Amino acid sequence: MTQRSFPRTVACLFALAMLAAPILEAQSPARELPPPLGKPKPFLLPPKRELTLPNGIKVTLVRFGTVPKVSIYCDVRTGHIDEKSNEVALSDVTGEMMREGTTTRSATQIEQQVGGMGGSLSINVGDDDASIGGTVLSEHGPEMVRLVADVVRNPLLPDSELARVVANEARDVAISRSQPQSIAREQFLKTLYGDHPYGRVFPTDAMLKSYTIAQVKDFYARNFGAARSHVYVVGVFDEAQMEKAVRDAFTGWPAGHAPTSKPPTPHMGRSVTLLDRPAAVQSTIMLGLPVPNPASRDYTALEVTDAMLGGTFGSRITTNIRENKGYTYSPFSFIGTHYHDAYWVQQADVTTKFTGASLKEIFGEIDRLQKEAPGTPELDGIKNNMIGLFTLRNGSRGGIVNQLENADLQGLGADYLSGYVKRVLAVTPADVQRTTATYLKPDQMTLVVVGDKATVADQLAPYEQPVP
Amino acid sequence: MTFRARASLLSLSLLALATVAMPAPAQTTKSGPTFHVPEQHYKLANGLKVVLSPDATVPTAVVAVYYNIGFRNEPRDRTGFAHLFEHLMFQGSKNLGKLQFVRLVEENGGILNGSTRFDFTNYFQVVPSNAVRRILWAEADRMKGLAIDTSNVNNQRDVVKNEVRVNVINQPYGGFPWIDLPIHANTNWYNAHNFYGDMGDLDKANLADATSFFHTYYAPNNAVLVVTGDIDIAATKQWIEEYFSKIPAATLPPKPDLTEPKQTEEKRFTRIDSLATRPAIGLAYHVPERFTPEWYAFGLLDQILAQGRDSRFYQELVQKRGLTGGVDAGINFGLGNQFDYQGPMLWEIQAFHDADKKGDDLLAGFDAAIEPLRTTPVDQATLDRALVKMRSSLYAEMEQFAGFGRANLLASFALFDNDPDRINQLERGFAQVTPAILLHTAQEYLRPTNRTVEFIVPAAKPDSSR
Repeated sequence: MTQRSFPRTVACLFALAMLAAPILEAQSPARELPPPLGKPKPFLLPPKRELTLPNGIKVTLVRFGTVPKVSIYCDVRTGHIDEKSNEVALSDVTGEMMREGTTTRSATQIEQQVGGMGGSLSINVGDDDASIGGTVLSEHGPEMVRLVADVVRNPLLPDSELARVVANEARDVAISRSQPQSIAREQFLKTLYGDHPYGRVFPTDAMLKSYTIAQVKDFYARNFGAARSHVYVVGVFDEAQMEKAVRDAFTGWPAGHAPTSKPPTPHMGRSVTLLDRPAAVQSTIMLGLPVPNPASRDYTALEVTDAMLGGTFGSRITTNIRENKGYTYSPFSFIGTHYHDAYWVQQADVTTKFTGASLKEIFGEIDRLQKEAPGTPELDGIKNNMIGLFTLRNGSRGGIVNQLENADLQGLGADYLSGYVKRVLAVTPADVQRTTATYLKPDQMTLVVVGDKATVADQLAPYEQPVP
Repeated sequence: MTFRARASLLSLSLLALATVAMPAPAQTTKSGPTFHVPEQHYKLANGLKVVLSPDATVPTAVVAVYYNIGFRNEPRDRTGFAHLFEHLMFQGSKNLGKLQFVRLVEENGGILNGSTRFDFTNYFQVVPSNAVRRILWAEADRMKGLAIDTSNVNNQRDVVKNEVRVNVINQPYGGFPWIDLPIHANTNWYNAHNFYGDMGDLDKANLADATSFFHTYYAPNNAVLVVTGDIDIAATKQWIEEYFSKIPAATLPPKPDLTEPKQTEEKRFTRIDSLATRPAIGLAYHVPERFTPEWYAFGLLDQILAQGRDSRFYQELVQKRGLTGGVDAGINFGLGNQFDYQGPMLWEIQAFHDADKKGDDLLAGFDAAIEPLRTTPVDQATLDRALVKMRSSLYAEMEQFAGFGRANLLASFALFDNDPDRINQLERGFAQVTPAILLHTAQEYLRPTNRTVEFIVPAAKPDSSR
């Protein structure tokens, strides 16, 4: 048994963060300037305690906050990554089936017990990991640990419930595929990742209906085990009592098989796909490409670049196509991540007749940032925003769980979170320009538009290029 | 791949921020840990209500201004105007030009949004606590007056029309059930018009409307200012005095009559949705008046019937009858919670199903879950679990969005009830509900004749995307 403690508290100082006075230059002299900022206060990441049980399961305990609640999640390294091409969403079906009873609890008993703790059980299956757990009133923390362990270790996977669970999944898929944003996302990821699991967003109806309980049981047996799992406990709890509950509940769970390693080789190169949605009053645009992943040295500069281009309300693309042009309501860019893989994408639902005009502005903003380094005040504003958001993300139970899960999945090391502020502050205007020029090359981008083909096709013509 | 109805927001924007929350102090009593929110409130000479609620767990603070004007009582020939006006509040004031308010918040490490609801329009910021003074100055600047022109109105009209397109017109199930149900369930225009606005009415909106709307409703004596989080009370009070006290009060128009007559017959309607691929059903019941014993009881009925997978709806319709994958429901559904409104309100329910089942099959499932509560008092175990779930959901509400949820409750109770400390009385109110009160509340308010039913008939070709 190994046990590591992290007694030190990590300080991320706003004092470092606040670089410059706010940008209100070029005002008419009649205008009043905003009052000064107060003295910045340090934000301390709450200390965490980490242990590994003999079967390989990792445990992280973080005492945080004063609201009498505790979040308990068991994160298992499995998900869509473990599906074969004829098994799309089998992991989701398996996850849903796990709540249909254990060897000692019926489905209804599970839900009533967790409801009685003031919580609900969530089972979320993603591309690389599955998260099973919930948040309960603190006095029920150890009881919730036992319940989560029971669901993860002893699912009944009853054949009697499979048809219903599959029908629910099929309905969810059908509804998702009637939403333009989901249609665009499916095509975008398919273009980027092809037949890799990251590129297979929705199963066909026939595929879903073909799944047998033997396949579900096999998926569970192959992909759930202690050595690929990590338990997170965050909130208000008694540490000794909680540690004992975790040890008692998870000791003896077999280690299981090692996680799948299946790195993707995402598509780079201009690709334009227009999916027809006759008479649609808006076009849903997704424009993006593969970029360095969170384990890369350039990732922080990429995050800053994303925030400046389209990731914040005051960002360049949002200012341009929303606040200046009125083409759209909620444009945004983000970096989507998988295990050691990432893509950048700008998304917007724009008025149909301004589809081409919107693309011109988006490409124009990318081009401008490639050619010209941003001014220091603009960059400082973006950096301050990111540092502020970092505090907010780490200032809640759920946020702390998410941050830890992500850092652990990507193998980012103990200093990743504590070094975040310093890394953001180190990004220079030249870094942003270089990052845009190196990683956000328009001729490498995949463009997906879901809209009224009759109106939109001609508007896309300037962006069509043969795929290299 | 769970389907969730698209968030129905009348908002400035969608904020892409993961769950953020901020705790408040807990106290332990012999009945277990309870939760007490410290607060102090007062009123400036010009009528502005102020609520301060300190909590130093994280060095951030929430600044929120709530104006007592919601979409319910916007002008009759300007549907959607309250929401359009919310957008205009970001377009410039005397000392902050277009986008400068947004930048001021973001560049100081914060997030912001505004939203329009039944009975208020709110503006809020979550910022590092050393920026509180600056944000108070900025909020006061736009309470003093806007500096906008016709181009701002035109631009934001285009943005709002795109908001309506993305959330309603170009979206399967757009406006279901949150726009549809109030229109059909209510009879009083104030409660029963299209809150997002008809496109024709939005086209008519102009700068003169905006000026008049501002002067009518955006006055300090029609607002509450809430500051929560890591704050210095004395300094914060001084800044509030400095920035807000000289803003003149206005003569407020009389309150409209929002009364809704008692519903005595079930109503049903069907909407054909040319973008949808699966049928759906929505239900609305009129709920008891706020802070009555029946209203507390109704909150627990919602827990028993609709919240969580242990709920009777889930057990009956999903687990037992296999009619749907889930049931979503709530008081003030999709737009708020049981607490942040003032006037008639609905309890709304929605579920999606397959074409081989009829809407009436689902209705039978709902009735099978509801009717026992109207004939037999619940047992103590059911009541106890409902209370635990309610207590937990109250804490979740208060923690929501980096502590904004707590500011929202304080603002609502200050604005509507002149008593922000009601936030600390809720647990007690729910604990006083007895099986007898639950029974008679269910008998009166869960009457089929108190409900409106919406059926969505899908008209898209099945899976037309392929």
